[in-house]
Amino acid sequence: MAISKGHIRAGVTAVRSAKLRSFWTMLGVIIGVTSVITVVAIGQGIKQQIGGQIHKLGNDLITIRPAQLHGSTGVKNNGVNVLSGLNVTGALTKKDIMSVAQTPGVSASAPLTITTGAVKSDVETYDKGFVIGTSASLASLLNQNIEYGSFLTEDDMGTDAAVLGAGAAEDLFDENVPLGRSFTFHGHEFVVRGIFNRFNTTPLSEQADFNKAIFIPNDVAQSLSNNTAPTYEILARPKDKKQTAKIAAVIQGTLSKNHGGQDNFEVLQGNQNLQSSDGILDLLTRLIAGVAAISLLVGGIGIMNVMLVSVAERTHEIGIRKAIGATDRQILSQFMIEATVLSLTGGIIGIILSLIIDLVLRLTTNLQPVISWQVALLATGVSLLVGVIFGTVPALKAARKDPIDALRSQ
Amino acid sequence: MALIELQDVSKLYGFGDATTLALDEVNLSIDKGEFVAVMGPSGCGKSTLMNLIGLLDRPSHGTFRLDNKKVSQLRPNQAAKIRRDTVGFIFQSFNLLPRLTVLENVSLPLVYKGMSERKRLKHASEMLDRVGIQSREYFLPSQLSGGQAQCAAIARALVNGPKLIIADEPTGNLDSESSRLVMELLSDIHKMGNTILFVTHNPELTRYATRVVYMHDGTIIHDEQTAIGSVATTARKVLYTLPTTKEEDDLAGVSTLMKALPSKNTSRKKGRTAVSKPKKNKRTAVSPRKKKS
Repeated sequence: MAISKGHIRAGVTAVRSAKLRSFWTMLGVIIGVTSVITVVAIGQGIKQQIGGQIHKLGNDLITIRPAQLHGSTGVKNNGVNVLSGLNVTGALTKKDIMSVAQTPGVSASAPLTITTGAVKSDVETYDKGFVIGTSASLASLLNQNIEYGSFLTEDDMGTDAAVLGAGAAEDLFDENVPLGRSFTFHGHEFVVRGIFNRFNTTPLSEQADFNKAIFIPNDVAQSLSNNTAPTYEILARPKDKKQTAKIAAVIQGTLSKNHGGQDNFEVLQGNQNLQSSDGILDLLTRLIAGVAAISLLVGGIGIMNVMLVSVAERTHEIGIRKAIGATDRQILSQFMIEATVLSLTGGIIGIILSLIIDLVLRLTTNLQPVISWQVALLATGVSLLVGVIFGTVPALKAARKDPIDALRSQ
Repeated sequence: MALIELQDVSKLYGFGDATTLALDEVNLSIDKGEFVAVMGPSGCGKSTLMNLIGLLDRPSHGTFRLDNKKVSQLRPNQAAKIRRDTVGFIFQSFNLLPRLTVLENVSLPLVYKGMSERKRLKHASEMLDRVGIQSREYFLPSQLSGGQAQCAAIARALVNGPKLIIADEPTGNLDSESSRLVMELLSDIHKMGNTILFVTHNPELTRYATRVVYMHDGTIIHDEQTAIGSVATTARKVLYTLPTTKEEDDLAGVSTLMKALPSKNTSRKKGRTAVSKPKKNKRTAVSPRKKKS
């Protein structure tokens, strides 16, 4: 027997005629679908955000950073950091910076050296960010545009010039374009040369917020701190993309020699970071989605229970329908359709709800959940399946009722 | 050619010591166009007979031919299809689906036939016009009077153009005015050539019938042809000459009609005690075949 529009309409009518009960029945499926979609969307979102950042930096970017010596037994990084964490020990030296810069095949390199100390402008004392010593290549290495002015040039090395992150500019001078204004740091007066475009921030990352940072020439940073400022990262880009791995190996060798054979640093290529963080994120997403999927199962059981009650309540109706000529299969499909309408409606409400949650998350946090149509389709399919599976038992029970007994019951 | 033909049809319920014989080798033949009233006390097997003829149930023994087809051992789905196409049911308590409108109720048998919605609603509407309650199409059954509800149920029974209409006490829940209305309607339907089988406790209603069948203890004890418009002879005897049921008879489930009729087996009656449905406990585990001797 084919399922016609009329059958589905009858199912919808039956569900609508008991609105409140239908809602409570669907609630399990709604929660299940919503949580599965939202969890997967958040996972996908973070993955894309990190992936986007890596993509922006480029696959060929080589990152050198200090590493824990004893970390060799475990995972070297914590997975979700893109550039680095500041919680690692070891140090990169001036000599390392030179070695990386002079490695054949490296087109550009830049150190990131953190210099401590208070920054004072005529408006504000600034302590929310930090001062980073770097070279003229940083902007191009990060693929980050300068919004106003220009970045440090080779000629600026050794001079008191500075470039600000967008956030630092606002905090320090109370204006967006403080070009030419100055601040004092360790007694030196620095002139603002340029302002960076706003950096994208990545959720879950412990990475330093470049929007709050002040960039000064590396040699000035070193001399201001009497060569004690730690270089926590060196970025390098090869001339030829294909040579990335080879050059990374060369850098590894050179630095190892510099450090007397001790590997208290690590050399990473851009996509290595991505791979490890992707793996962990995928695992986590799957795990949580799996837990959420259990609530879908519970929702299905809820539907089954309510359908069983409904079948018992409507025994008389089943008797009447059978008496006037409904076959067992027609009764079966009637109840199957009802269960399916319930679970499918729950699934669709769940999708709508997760779209709303997605919007709220985007507006209130820096998460950017991505609801892919595949996941939505899968959730719809699964809720349909839940309806079919858990509708079968009650529907069979209805179809197998003896018409005489059913007619007699009131 | 007989529309309904029962040959030695028996129906047993239960197992072992608890077996009861609801129908005991019933032989009945009803022709097309007959208007048959079935009378008898509670528990005499009227409803079982109706269920068997309406294919809601299967006989334990014997053969049943409906419209020249042997239908005594059909599978439930085949029975459902024949029910849908050849039998129309009318119940004492109307049995309209409370959540559907009158029109939807009437069109329900057509749903199971697979007719398109527009066609079946049109058809149902015509049928409601025929029973005179077309103006109530979009009412819910709860908004109808008893008489109107039964008219809607009759429209539902007719909508598939059945060969046979089975009515189980169609006026049992109605006042005398509505009863008259419903019976007139059935009478009209009969005049158009339909075969109607109805159960009643009211001897007055045999007025509408062409034939009256009296049942007792699962067998047909009396079968008489009667002229339309006059109460059947046996029933009239009950109606006019006998005193109303005495209290002890009531307790024993003995109706006035039973007393008026010659008993099938008097010796059996003597041993009966005051239980509500004596025949249910009477003869346990007796094969109907053995009884022939």
